[in-house]
Amino acid sequence: MAQKITPTDVMLAVYGSPHQTELITTALRLTQALLDRGARVQIWTCGDATGLTRSTLGRTKPRNVLRWTTDYPSSASVISDLLDEYPDLLHWYVCRFCSDERGMSEQIPQVRRRPPFTFWDHTKSAGKLLTLGVC
Amino acid sequence: MPDSGPLIIVERAYRGSVETQFADVLYFIRELNRQTGGLHLALRGLTATYALEAPSYEPAVRLGSRRLDTLPDPRASIREMLDDDAVVWVEEPDLARLGPTARTRLLDGVRCAAQGELTLRWAEFPRVWFM
Repeated sequence: MAQKITPTDVMLAVYGSPHQTELITTALRLTQALLDRGARVQIWTCGDATGLTRSTLGRTKPRNVLRWTTDYPSSASVISDLLDEYPDLLHWYVCRFCSDERGMSEQIPQVRRRPPFTFWDHTKSAGKLLTLGVC
Repeated sequence: MPDSGPLIIVERAYRGSVETQFADVLYFIRELNRQTGGLHLALRGLTATYALEAPSYEPAVRLGSRRLDTLPDPRASIREMLDDDAVVWVEEPDLARLGPTARTRLLDGVRCAAQGELTLRWAEFPRVWFM
């Protein structure tokens, strides 16, 4: 049976890769701005962006040798906490094919992995779609 | 020119903040500067903005109740590298593209090269790395 997709006001399709440009930070800031206005938001990641939420990242980044005692949260940790704070407004989907292809199948529990060809169903469940970057 | 220090050229700026934090390209280059005993760093393209004074701002972002204040701060990293005796270059055309006053806002100690000047001097360096 097909999984029910929660309707949202906005969907952000994040195709661009982390560690290349400020795209990921922009997507997260945009998400926060929408949440601040009470909007319901769903994020769909494809390509290398699926790695943002892989569980193997752990809670923190590797140590900074220049600031050994400082903890730096991983992207998975930042996104996990954001999802926990907005359980009714924010939903995060990860393309199953892209994450499998890149060996990033293990994801944090707050995100849902979805078959790639459900993308169209997701777009129909959102009032507005914005795509960011390319795979 | 240093006997062993490389010339490192960085052309791509602003490669991610939330996912990168301290671990930007300058994090590695700063350590290379320490290990090599002094390197030359050429900031090309938009990375020239790393070498300019700018209005005070805090590299932080709010996400939910978290205030993530560990984002990259390349200007501070350049200042630290200058303090560690690295030689930092920007090229004149890149400065010109940033506005007529850009040259007056260079961080103390940053050197300005004419277009192509550093390329003509590649042979003087034992290593030339693009990072």
